[in-house]
Amino acid sequence: MAKTILLVDDSVTMLMSVKTNLEMAGFKIETAEDGVKALAKLTSGLKPDLIITDINMPNMGGIELIKKARALPGFRFMPILTLTTESQQGKRDEGKAAGATGWLVKPVGGADLLKIIKQVLPGA
Amino acid sequence: MNNLLEQFLSEARDFLQGIGEKLMQLENDPDSTELMVELFRFVHTLKGNSGLFDFPEMTRVLHASEDLMDAVRNGRVNYSQTLADQLLEAMDFVGSLMDEIEVTGKIGSNHLVISTELTKALRALLDTPDAVNVPVAIEVYTEDALTVKGISWSELPIMDLPETIAMGLHRCSIDGETVLWLQYTPEPECFFKGEDPFFLARQIPDVAWRHVILNNSASTLAEMDVFSSQLVFQLLTIAPETELDDLLRYVPDQIHRVKIPALAFVKPSGSSTDQAIDDDVIDSVLALFDNDEIDALIHTINTMLELSSPELWSSSALRWVLHLIDAEPDNKPAQRILLEAFRTQTAPDWSVLTPPIVPQHKTVSAPIHVNTSEIPDTLLRDFNVVINTQKEILSLPATSSGAWSAGRLKAVGATLIGCYRAVQRPHEIEGIEAALNIALTQNSPVPLLGWLETSLANTQELIFKGEPEPVVASLAAQPEVKFGRRTDDARGENAVAASKTLKVDQDKIDRLMNLIGEMVVAKNALPYLANRAETVFGVRELSREIKAQYAVINRVAEEMQDTIMQVRMMPVSFIFQRFPRMVRDISRKLGKEVELVLEGDATEADKNIIEALSDPLIHIVRNSLDHGLEMPEARLAAGKSVTGKLHIRASQESDRVLIEIIDDGKGINPEVIKHKAYEKGLIDEATLERISDQDAVNLVFAAGFSTADVISDLSGRGVGMDVVRSAVEKVNGTVGIESVAGKGTRLFMSLPLSMAVTNVMIIESNKQIFGVPMDLVVETVRVPRVQIRTIKQKQTTVLRGRIVPLLSLNDLLARNEAQLPNEDDEFATLIVRVHGEHVGILVDDFRETVDIILKPMTGILGGLPGYSGAALLGDGSVLMVLNPRELI
Amino acid sequence: MAIEYKKSLAVFSDFVGVEDAEALLEWLGKNPKGKVNFEECTHIHASSLQVLMAVKPPVVAWPKDENLQLWLKVALE
Repeated sequence: MAKTILLVDDSVTMLMSVKTNLEMAGFKIETAEDGVKALAKLTSGLKPDLIITDINMPNMGGIELIKKARALPGFRFMPILTLTTESQQGKRDEGKAAGATGWLVKPVGGADLLKIIKQVLPGA
Repeated sequence: MNNLLEQFLSEARDFLQGIGEKLMQLENDPDSTELMVELFRFVHTLKGNSGLFDFPEMTRVLHASEDLMDAVRNGRVNYSQTLADQLLEAMDFVGSLMDEIEVTGKIGSNHLVISTELTKALRALLDTPDAVNVPVAIEVYTEDALTVKGISWSELPIMDLPETIAMGLHRCSIDGETVLWLQYTPEPECFFKGEDPFFLARQIPDVAWRHVILNNSASTLAEMDVFSSQLVFQLLTIAPETELDDLLRYVPDQIHRVKIPALAFVKPSGSSTDQAIDDDVIDSVLALFDNDEIDALIHTINTMLELSSPELWSSSALRWVLHLIDAEPDNKPAQRILLEAFRTQTAPDWSVLTPPIVPQHKTVSAPIHVNTSEIPDTLLRDFNVVINTQKEILSLPATSSGAWSAGRLKAVGATLIGCYRAVQRPHEIEGIEAALNIALTQNSPVPLLGWLETSLANTQELIFKGEPEPVVASLAAQPEVKFGRRTDDARGENAVAASKTLKVDQDKIDRLMNLIGEMVVAKNALPYLANRAETVFGVRELSREIKAQYAVINRVAEEMQDTIMQVRMMPVSFIFQRFPRMVRDISRKLGKEVELVLEGDATEADKNIIEALSDPLIHIVRNSLDHGLEMPEARLAAGKSVTGKLHIRASQESDRVLIEIIDDGKGINPEVIKHKAYEKGLIDEATLERISDQDAVNLVFAAGFSTADVISDLSGRGVGMDVVRSAVEKVNGTVGIESVAGKGTRLFMSLPLSMAVTNVMIIESNKQIFGVPMDLVVETVRVPRVQIRTIKQKQTTVLRGRIVPLLSLNDLLARNEAQLPNEDDEFATLIVRVHGEHVGILVDDFRETVDIILKPMTGILGGLPGYSGAALLGDGSVLMVLNPRELI
Repeated sequence: MAIEYKKSLAVFSDFVGVEDAEALLEWLGKNPKGKVNFEECTHIHASSLQVLMAVKPPVVAWPKDENLQLWLKVALE
């Protein structure tokens, strides 16, 4: 069964690029443009196998999204990866402290992206 | 093409152009930091963008370019002409990949090699003597560091390592591989971060030994907190540290790792006895050792081993002595300590050896002074080539404007400085700089040329006296010299060749192929026509003229056909190129270590053959990885190197392509195959008894046979080698297998170079004609009715003392008609070879053999078994070509 | 269903996830003589692994997955 991934990013280009990559690899992709929209999807029945979220977003950022998602009943153990840039070392640690499983470094593409997802998602 | 890719391509073209321009500007202004920084930014962004797509060949080259530009930007590597050339060449390559992506949407075959070469060349520039400032590798794991961390390798819990594995690891370590002891203690709350420590631990590659500990504090089971991690994973791995860093990057603080020195594995184990070895014996052994009588020592130890039980501690110690003598012949102190340990029957104390125990890491350091005699010949030759080229450049006439450009002079100067630095003559640099300055003020090459000639005269030892490199394009021979573009000099020939190459859509080639097929058919109608001219119309003269004309057309058509065949030829690299990645991914997934060797990837065959080869080959390679090559532990235990070897070789043998897939894995056990085949009812009991090992191994090709003891998701379920065989046979190929249990397996496929023209025999049955491929026909005979016997309701005949089963074609085609005999009551019988056996097919009559262009049947007809395809005959009729393999 | 509980046998298949650990602990508590079958199992989350290690139930069949088998054997034997 195809694994579902929720992608959260305010940049449409980034969403499009990551989405295309992952769909080609056989994942089912859901997207949200900010933390608020992502949280709304999670509370209205979406149960992805993995969440990939950007850090800096309007309305609700990635760190807050992780904290809020972890507090929801069905999302205690779900793998969550943050999307960071080369220079955001601090944000990665902050994400981990908030309950993220790991991070991806932009630009994420093809082989690397899949490799990392397979490392955190058994059965992917 | 998707929008993202389109966006990438158009942006990337701008970057490429920008990179080219900046490089050109740098020629004239090599010291501009501003240009350097901009250049770096272009390359960096381009690399980043390419990473969004799966274009590994492109990204790899860009990555190397980026690293190189980074080094230049930081002053670690000097900008030079060579460097600019190399970068431009790399960008040309990237540009050509983009052309291809634009047309086909992806990167095709054949780029892997060039991309690797370019990357290597770019990386090589990073390591030139110019790069002396590169930080020297620092030995991280010193004994001190370990003591500070509070753990010494001698205290690690690796006591229970089986002796064979310990010996294997010791040898790995001696051979320069790093053996790491790794302890992973996940934080208790890690499950609440979406982590699965066990899954992570399982992904650690090349594990030779592993252990899991549970630190459960709860007193009863019910109290256990299942969502708080209480696990500790411990293991020994020989995986490269960079790979481990990458895998464990999210949990670095939970990892403790220690590099294990080779001697730590030398640890005899076993039961000790009360009666220790006599001191006399030990003394005599030590005497042999001290007198360096190693052969006698080995002999004595072997004798002692024969006399004592192998389970004893002392036997284990003796085996270790032999191992040590073999693996570390020069490490006398260690050998002596091990021998001394016999007195006490306790583990050898390596701590006395501490300094030499820790393997010395090679440190990079630039030699301060080097004799020219130490400069390798290749370097000296390159030096001479470059210097001579500079001389030629300096001797060139001034440009049309009458002046020498400053940039050209500076470039020559920079090159000369680089050259002299490369041959350890830094003191010459001052002279070059002085000459360059004069040259620049005079706007003339003469001062530099003068310096160069004087210098060369004074340094005879730098003149290369060996054979010059054969391919060096002479600059003087070219009317005008442009700088920067390598394509204009050394690669000139290639560039011309490239412009002569035409990319043609595959469909067009296929269309051409169909047309020539029709042409051959139409041409074959001419002899009919000539015949009719003579017999029907009685014009003999015209008949002769038609025949003469036919001969001409025939020759041209044949030549044309040959040429089109040539166009259709494709190198096997088309399939081979996907293997490195595939092998890497699969072996990683399986936790195996595999070295892939590809040979003969330039071997060519018809496009259809290459395409037909692809799936079987992938299947076979997967099989080898999955079932052939063992896990690293198993290999160690079997006394093999940890890394399995997978060899894929293509070669041409007369008009066939031979593909071999060889692994040094566990091989196929004929006994297992026999019994499995028997269990599955593929062979009867009698066959089970007398079948030879080779025949047994061949049973893997039998339909419905799956060799896997463990069915994994890689090779699939139930799909076995029989699929491979039928796919190969479909294109008139053969496949075979040889295997030695424990040593490995060799699988080979032989395929025709081209499948375009098929020689078939036309036969007649039930008032219709059919074709049968000639390569299956052994002979044609006429069998008298009286010689046909019925054995067990099957018709047979005896042919040259051999019983041949007979089948009637009408029966095979489900026509309810008897075959027609000739006037002498004989049946026309086609003896064909099917799966190594001779079978007779009864038909009504034989006709001639013809060359046809066989077209596979498509659509509904494509599903018909028993036919290879159809062809048009000279008179316009359709010939159905039978496939006896499927028919019988 | 990643773990199927029969009378005195727990059959593991495919991926055993993190939340299966609680039920496994409960079952092993109620069935002290319960056995386990890993044959069709491809991965067990660390949470369930530690439950198994705490009880060390008799193993009827080891997993076909070679890597998992190696790890489970050192953990449970």
